[in-house]
Amino acid sequence: MELLLTYAKPYGKKIAVAVISVTLMALATLTQPQFLEKMMTAIIKDQSDLVLKNGAYLLGLALVGIVAGITGTYFASQVSQGVAADIRRAEYEKIQNFSLQQVQSYSSANLVVRLTNDINQVQQLVMQLLQMVLRVPILLIGAVILSIYTIPSLWWVVVLMIVLIVLSSQRIFAMMGGSFAKIQKLIDKNNTLAQENLAGVRVVKSFNQQGQEEASFSDNTQELTEVNRRIGYLFNMMFPIFMLLSYAAIVAALLFISTSIISHPDQLAKITPFITYLNQILMALLMMGMISTFASRGFVSLKRISAVMAEETVEHSVDEQSKVGKDDFLKQDLKVENLSFTYPNAKSAVLSDISFKLRAGQTLGIVGSTGSGKSTLALLLARLYQGDGGKVQVDGQDINSIDEESWRQAVSIVMQKPVLFSGSIASNLKMGKADASESEMQEAIEAAQAAEFVNAYPDGLNHEISERSANLSGGQKQRLSLARALVKKPRLLILDDATSALDARSEKQVQEVLANEFAKTTKVIIAEKIASIIRADQIIVLDEGKVVGVGSHEELLENSDFYQEIYQSQKGKEGDHE
Amino acid sequence: MNKLRVAVSYFTNYLKPYWKGLIVAITFVLIGTYAQIKAPLYLGNAISGLTKYLTASFTPGGHASLADFYQAILAMVFFYLLSEAGFVISGLITSRVSSDSVGQMRMGLFSNLQKKAIRYFDSHQDGKILSLFTSDLDNVFNAMNQAVFQVFSQGVLFLGIIWMMLSKSLTMALVTMALSPVAIIVALLIVNKARKQIEKQQAATGDLNGYINEQLSGQAVLLAEGRQQESIKDFEPINERVRHATQRGQFYSGLLSPLMQGFSLLNLAIVIFFGSWLVLHNGMDKASGLALIVVFVTYSQQYFQPISQLTAIYNPLQLAITGANRITEVEAKPNEVNTGKKMAGPLTEGVSLKHVDFAYQPDRPILKDVSIDVKKGQMVALVGPTGSGKTTVMNLLNRFYDLNGGEITYDGVPLKDYDLESLRSRVGIVLQESVVFSKSIRDNIAYGKPDASQEEVESAAKQANIHDFIMSLPDGYDTKVTGADNLFSTGQKQLLSIARTILTNPSLLILDEATANVDTVTEAKIQKAMENVMANRTSFVIAHRLKTILSADVIVVLKDGRVIEKGSHEELLAEKGFYSELYYNQMVFE
Repeated sequence: MELLLTYAKPYGKKIAVAVISVTLMALATLTQPQFLEKMMTAIIKDQSDLVLKNGAYLLGLALVGIVAGITGTYFASQVSQGVAADIRRAEYEKIQNFSLQQVQSYSSANLVVRLTNDINQVQQLVMQLLQMVLRVPILLIGAVILSIYTIPSLWWVVVLMIVLIVLSSQRIFAMMGGSFAKIQKLIDKNNTLAQENLAGVRVVKSFNQQGQEEASFSDNTQELTEVNRRIGYLFNMMFPIFMLLSYAAIVAALLFISTSIISHPDQLAKITPFITYLNQILMALLMMGMISTFASRGFVSLKRISAVMAEETVEHSVDEQSKVGKDDFLKQDLKVENLSFTYPNAKSAVLSDISFKLRAGQTLGIVGSTGSGKSTLALLLARLYQGDGGKVQVDGQDINSIDEESWRQAVSIVMQKPVLFSGSIASNLKMGKADASESEMQEAIEAAQAAEFVNAYPDGLNHEISERSANLSGGQKQRLSLARALVKKPRLLILDDATSALDARSEKQVQEVLANEFAKTTKVIIAEKIASIIRADQIIVLDEGKVVGVGSHEELLENSDFYQEIYQSQKGKEGDHE
Repeated sequence: MNKLRVAVSYFTNYLKPYWKGLIVAITFVLIGTYAQIKAPLYLGNAISGLTKYLTASFTPGGHASLADFYQAILAMVFFYLLSEAGFVISGLITSRVSSDSVGQMRMGLFSNLQKKAIRYFDSHQDGKILSLFTSDLDNVFNAMNQAVFQVFSQGVLFLGIIWMMLSKSLTMALVTMALSPVAIIVALLIVNKARKQIEKQQAATGDLNGYINEQLSGQAVLLAEGRQQESIKDFEPINERVRHATQRGQFYSGLLSPLMQGFSLLNLAIVIFFGSWLVLHNGMDKASGLALIVVFVTYSQQYFQPISQLTAIYNPLQLAITGANRITEVEAKPNEVNTGKKMAGPLTEGVSLKHVDFAYQPDRPILKDVSIDVKKGQMVALVGPTGSGKTTVMNLLNRFYDLNGGEITYDGVPLKDYDLESLRSRVGIVLQESVVFSKSIRDNIAYGKPDASQEEVESAAKQANIHDFIMSLPDGYDTKVTGADNLFSTGQKQLLSIARTILTNPSLLILDEATANVDTVTEAKIQKAMENVMANRTSFVIAHRLKTILSADVIVVLKDGRVIEKGSHEELLAEKGFYSELYYNQMVFE
């Protein structure tokens, strides 16, 4: 709620106009029966000038209602969209300031929902608040007061009707109870069944299980149908019950008026307005029910957005002292001491007590089975994660004390899963170096063995990559994300299984380029295949987050059983030598 | 309107079984509506009875009686009860019919999809097909619930009120209806405009969602490259576009309800104003004059109700028509052809591909003149770069697709002469992307043979090297697998699908080897499981890593849809061609 108020503030004037319009509309609806009464009285008393006058008022009132309705809607949509767009922008900016750990703790899919679906809910909430929330209480309270004011002796009819409607609707909603939640669950299940059937269509067909699939889908659909029926029945009872209650109120009113009409002849003209008020009360109560279901959803979304906004983020400040020129970066060594890392909510550390030292220009290979912590180590070295123990130093300086900008200019990481963005190839490469020239980009794609396919496009570097890079193969995506990392000619290059989708020949060529043209770059290479790191100056073997072997390929073959095992699983037949 | 015709026939098709119930429902709607229209008449009579009573009481010598009044009240109560009873009964029937028939539609669509050929699924995105269930059927249900029957009952109400008004007073009826053509035209214009604006709004929102999705999925890269500010900068214009598009969309779609309320209010004013003028200037007596006004005040409100209701359901109705059309279009697509009569038995001789030509799209051939022979008990390894056609061979062996040229035979008989189900029960496949269903582990393994005993399931799991892992779970074989959780690693999923295939005891095995995110130690485990399955069976293996291939009887190298090398490991090494280069690059470290 606080969030909503903060972002609604700049729209104060527009909100005021919307609220005033809505109030006017409610007042127009409310006062109309009053004029009706005056007209009726005028007819009974034969006062045609009064009829004319009140008739004119009545028309004027209706016109005010229409104009107010249009203005109210206009400003309500302006405000609701304005607030929604502002919150979305602020939330997006907030998320951009998140650390990778924060993004992953929510998961990016979840953040997308909070930026799209939840914002939509909030927008609808604001629209409803502006259009209904003031109008309904005004209508309800106004109609109650005016109905009692019109015929005071019938106050109990009004109160009784309201009480009965509220009670019966509570009863019906209680009967519906969990039905809505149940429906949502059944629909989710239904969708899951359909989705799994589609995703596994080859399995379904090759195991001849179409019949079984239909049977389980049918069971679920049957259940869904039954709950739908139940809700339908209750809904179809609800409105007639409300209508009957209001009819009963009308009949009761008529009967009681008939007993006292002789002493209060003026009540004759008041019957119709009184009935109109009863109808307005009924409508207002119905609207209130609708709003409360709507609003509760909106408030849930608001809470989810507030949670994002409440995250603590670190502002990146530029500090002249911590700046490091790119040419001065990593001139001596990269040193890791007792580095540890534990994921939030995880029982045990994914990395513990990792230490090694790499001289500038050297290559470090890291091998280990899935889940041994290799990728986490890569993210820690790239400063995308913060270790919770130990330190990483470049030339003796803690990496966290180095200016953010200087760091990003000198360090490149290529992640396991290549990510490219829609846009031209050039715009993707420029993410690595904003002012990269045509020839720099050409060099990078050549180094990454991407030149052949990129230059085959008639528009070359300007070729558009479509959404989710659907028009590129896995190997092509890896080549381009490697090129993006190389274009800035990094001082420190971290490759996380970055060439797994490349064919053996291209992979070898990449290795040669890295060894020759990027000889001065310090390299950390994580790989599944021993062939990718066989020439590294130093190889560390990871198992369950711990270093279980350090040395060159030959040394490890000698003294690491674990390394031996990996090697054997990849080696060809004995004696096949060129 | 061809679209409308398709939708109408779709709905009639599914509503036909309920025709008796629908006739009852319609009858009760008519009764209810009739009573609903009739009741205000007696409300008017009651007022006029009271007026007469009052006038008589104040007239000296007048005979004041409330008899007329009570009679009117009695009639009113009767019609109130009748109308609501009619609506309750018809409502109960229609809600049953709509939930049941939509259930049938859901089932119908699903069954129909089961009969479609693989080509259909390969050429349509899962998401689009799924939206038939999630969005189109939903729209149809919403429309059934509120629109289809409402069009009818509101239409009846509308005509009934007009008829009632005309029979009561021609002048007042015309006055009451005078404004409605304007109101209807304005409403339709707004609805139309709103639809267009909402389409624009959805397009803009789609762009925004796409942008957000892409950026946040690649957030690691944005952070690594320090691109956060640029990302925000590019976000801004898209966000602004959504703001403007949505503002207009919301304005136009939000306009209808207050505007119709305004029109209703205006109409009421006109009715009251004109009615009063009529009483005062046309010499109508007060009692019937007042009654006339009261009656028409009620009619005026009732008259506008169907107009605003009908315009409000115009959009859901449109969506339902589109939904029905989409579903019909899918259901009309051709089903899988199964004309073969021969029942396939266990393999006795072998499987042959003879000069096979195949293309998914006529102008882009995938396989060209491919010939491969496998004798019973042999293992064939398919090797080749991505896009060479390895997976396509698998699609053809299971007859997921039919050939364009050449022939594939199973024990000498062409595949298309076999009954599809019997053929597929002899052919087992393990896909590269393992499919796990949201069922218990037991049901996942017994997927192809639901009546398998626990011993059979466990023995299959043991052969696939996954039994020990399953037993380490608290619920063992009863553990529920759900799509979202990460109970299984990629490698374990592969082992599970191998167990599933072992259980059906196929004669011919097709294995598409998993490599993504599987380390070589796990891979060795998978390999061992595969060897267990392949023992004494005929098999095709699509090998991504060469280790598997070493034990193959025949190695086939595919490139650009052609067989370029064929032979044993030693023969191919001696050829010093594609295979030998691949082998030395990947497997030999010295």
